[in-house]
Amino acid sequence: MGSACSRKRGQLLVDEEDLYSARFSKSSSFKWLLHTLPRSGSDVHRKVQGPVPARCPSLMELCVAKVREVFNELVEWNILTEELLGAFRDCALQDICLADYPGVRDAWMEVAASQGQSLLSVDISCSDVTDGGLNQLKDCINLQSLSCNYCDQISEHGLKTLSGLSNVTSLSFKKCSAVTAEGAKAFANMVNLGSLDLERCPKIHGGLVHLKGLRKLEKLNLRYCNGITDSDMKHLSGLSKLAHLNLEGCAVTAACLEVISGLVMLKVLNLGFNYITDACLVHLKELINLECLNLDSCKIGDEGLAHLKGLLKLRSLELSDTEVGSNGLRHLSGLRNLQSINLSFTLVTDIGLKKISGLNSLRSLNLDNRQITDNGLAALTCLTGLTHLDLFGARITDAGTNCLKYFKNLQSLEVCGGLITDAGVKNIKDLKALTLLNLSQNGNLTDKSLELISGLTALVSLNVSNSRVSNSGLHHLKPLQNLRSLSLESCKVTAIEIKKLQLAALPNLVSVRPE
Amino acid sequence: MLRKGEAPGHQTPPHLHKDDGDDDDDAPSGFVKLISAEGFEFVVDKKAAMVSNTLRNMLTSPGGFSETREGEVRFPEISTPILEKICQYFYWSLHYSSGKETSEFQIEPEITLELMMAANYLDT
Repeated sequence: MGSACSRKRGQLLVDEEDLYSARFSKSSSFKWLLHTLPRSGSDVHRKVQGPVPARCPSLMELCVAKVREVFNELVEWNILTEELLGAFRDCALQDICLADYPGVRDAWMEVAASQGQSLLSVDISCSDVTDGGLNQLKDCINLQSLSCNYCDQISEHGLKTLSGLSNVTSLSFKKCSAVTAEGAKAFANMVNLGSLDLERCPKIHGGLVHLKGLRKLEKLNLRYCNGITDSDMKHLSGLSKLAHLNLEGCAVTAACLEVISGLVMLKVLNLGFNYITDACLVHLKELINLECLNLDSCKIGDEGLAHLKGLLKLRSLELSDTEVGSNGLRHLSGLRNLQSINLSFTLVTDIGLKKISGLNSLRSLNLDNRQITDNGLAALTCLTGLTHLDLFGARITDAGTNCLKYFKNLQSLEVCGGLITDAGVKNIKDLKALTLLNLSQNGNLTDKSLELISGLTALVSLNVSNSRVSNSGLHHLKPLQNLRSLSLESCKVTAIEIKKLQLAALPNLVSVRPE
Repeated sequence: MLRKGEAPGHQTPPHLHKDDGDDDDDAPSGFVKLISAEGFEFVVDKKAAMVSNTLRNMLTSPGGFSETREGEVRFPEISTPILEKICQYFYWSLHYSSGKETSEFQIEPEITLELMMAANYLDT
């Protein structure tokens, strides 16, 4: 957002990670009967307090809760060493999150495994743990969540030793060469899996057959698994609960869509960067529960969109970098639940925007596209619920900015077509809800614009790069107390003057250009 | 007795505490002396000591342990600060169970692991 160049990426797509960050609870009993313990010390107290004095927590329970708290703090402050870790052997830890933590290797896994049946979640992403280390977890049978993303020392043999962990509900092995036709056998026994993340696993071909019996699987991420072929996909046909499927960049084609067309519970489907054509989209017709659909950079145009007409639950539609033009948008005019649509780098022109002007559920609209002008924007003024509007490359002039006044709820706005002057910024100055404003590339903007912006005190991110803004205008930014990111690249502004402003008035500013 | 609103860590030393009624009948009256590895003595109500299942067994088993007949129990494995913390917990626990205590029992991070081992031994 801060930079002028890198564009696009939908904002409202459902977060793939939310299951992984979930906390887990256990149900059967373990050593010291700690199963009733919540996860932090203060929770112990909160739970037992109330109008009637409840059971008093034992000192053991209080200590275990404290140990967990201390462990997490040591990790958070980056001061846990291998030596310190030894002290936590057999301490009934439940969560061991060491993702990206420096120095994690097999010796650490021995301490992790010593938590035995207490252990519920482990994250050793980006570590040097090998098969030998991973193997130690095989007796931690209550493990519910395991993440080994980017662990390049783990092979298919290591993965297979985990096959007994049948209570695992969430598993993540991003970019891991252990996921092979052989290694994937481990998944077959994990019948409670609800979420499986195999993004960028290069050797996955032939492995998906082992997912056949995972009837509880709701989320599957196969993003950029280059080895996947249409023949692999047929093994997914029985996954009737699948609600999230990410196939971005998998080189799958129409053949696999036949399988997908039967997965009627799908809510989130990402087919971006695949060889998907208009004719393929007929297979999506039956997926009436779809809420988010990503067709970024697919080979689709106006005709294909006709097949999306009936997907009335669609909330988010990503059509960036497709051949979709103004004619195609008429097929979308009935999708009354659409909240987000990305039409950047499409063939859509001003005329087409009339067809989406009635979609008053829209919150986020991306029109980063050179064909869009003031006339197109004028057709959209009834979309007063918009909170995000991206007109990055659109040719909006000062006259067009008059339309922006209708979008009182805007939280983010990008207008970087180069045609805006200080007079246009006047129409932006009353959009008080703005937290992100990008006016870069408008070479005529002066310090006067900074003065106008000074009333937008909710701003968190501001970009006025490539303009005539100068050091003497910087003082106008002082009221922007929430500002965290400021970009004034290629202006008459020096790093030292920004630094002075930062020290004197803007304590929350963390990202600054130039620096 | 704990004064209301005071953090347990700041309370008066355990040996000054007096039991405040609502006796349960099997509780032996009187005091017991708990002695740390360094020889430091903590005099606590027997009722408080019996928050620990290990001490309860010692104090109530028929015939008794020789240590308890003499009214003292030695803990060669438990250091003074840990034993002090444990005594504080005994009183906190009694007050908590009777609804008189609502503040949290504070445990300093640096003693947590040692305290946990002692708590495990004392079954409390």
